[in-house]
Amino acid sequence: MDPGVRLMERVQARDVAAFESLYDGYHRLVFGIGLRILGDPTMAEDLTQTVFLKVWTAPEAFRGGSFVAWVSRVARNRALDVLRARSVRPEIEIPADLPLEGSLDDDVLSRLDAQRVRDALAQLPPEQRGLIEMGFFGGVTHQELARRTDTPLGTVKTRIRSGLRRLRQALGEHAAP
Amino acid sequence: MTDESMREAMLESVALYALGVLPREETALVAAFIANDDEARREYDELRAAATALAHTADEPVDSARSARLKERLMARVRADAASGRMTAARGAAAYPAWMWGTGLAAAAAVVFSVVTVAQDVNTRGELAAAQRRAATLAVELAESQRSGAAENRTLTDLLAPDARRYAVAPGTVIVRRDRVYFAFSKLGALPKGRVYQAWTAPRGSTTMAPSVTFTPNSDGVAIVALPVDATRVGTVAVSVEPEGGSKAPTTTPTFVRPLS
Repeated sequence: MDPGVRLMERVQARDVAAFESLYDGYHRLVFGIGLRILGDPTMAEDLTQTVFLKVWTAPEAFRGGSFVAWVSRVARNRALDVLRARSVRPEIEIPADLPLEGSLDDDVLSRLDAQRVRDALAQLPPEQRGLIEMGFFGGVTHQELARRTDTPLGTVKTRIRSGLRRLRQALGEHAAP
Repeated sequence: MTDESMREAMLESVALYALGVLPREETALVAAFIANDDEARREYDELRAAATALAHTADEPVDSARSARLKERLMARVRADAASGRMTAARGAAAYPAWMWGTGLAAAAAVVFSVVTVAQDVNTRGELAAAQRRAATLAVELAESQRSGAAENRTLTDLLAPDARRYAVAPGTVIVRRDRVYFAFSKLGALPKGRVYQAWTAPRGSTTMAPSVTFTPNSDGVAIVALPVDATRVGTVAVSVEPEGGSKAPTTTPTFVRPLS
């Protein structure tokens, strides 16, 4: 089981030590997501504090599944909220949030680590990898991706779909027990 | 464009949605497609898992001084909160910077209701007061949602949730999750001027239809509608075409009548 899940059970019982362990285990991930999306260490620090305060004050928001997947989605969505609210780049349309609740593949995600995902990502052709990373961490729409990379919109769509499918396949192989 | 190429185009949009790069105005159409298509739902689940995994690549060491400062500040607040025993009171907007809340919820609402005219939630003059009460209730619920991050994307989550019950109907799918009912339609016909679609609900064990919201699809025939009812008490839902403003009882043959059993 994802160790975060056990810790969250204790956090729901107001166990400060469990919360500290959660912070120690996952703050790098949350801070890193904030930094990649917001591009500013101070804003990433604020984001990290806010996400973990949410973990403490509203632990019921986590409804099972993989803690790491959940906290990643929370961090990304909050970072996109920051982009919207602060109009860091008002000329760019920022895409909609994704739903927060866990998916069927949460157990797969909980068995992954950074190096495995980097290895899987490295298997993709550069043109697919670049679009997927820019899309996930850039907080921009596919039209903006097409504009930035000077690539036809249809090509962007096809590359993203193909790339995600290959990534999912590669992650599935990595995550197999 | 052939049906097959249109379907491929929609599946590409599913991938964009999974990665989180789809513009807000396109999400309702894609969400309706996913809600109505088993293959699209499987693909969405698979690709969203891959997209979520990308977050792992951001897991890198944090500057130790920054990390220590952040932890000290955070733990001080948490310890103070735990010591005060004001667990519940501490929850809410005050615990978060103002900029963290509201925008996400607004975005989610815009996504879900972009093809639904909420202002049409008035069936007859006699229903106005009830509609206003419902609107007030919804406003309160939305305010509550702003204080609970868990509920921000509830509707979208409900539409795509694996544990939602789905009932196929001619124009799409009726989706029930917990105490909530949604219509996710993608094949509604265009309406003549002065006409709207109206939802109807009947309590369990009854055949008497009560008027519910009116709505119009977008130009693609898509409408996503959250019915303002407690799903646990609803036995049947239906839709009919009615005059603008709605009717007290159906005046045309229903587009569908669907028991929720």
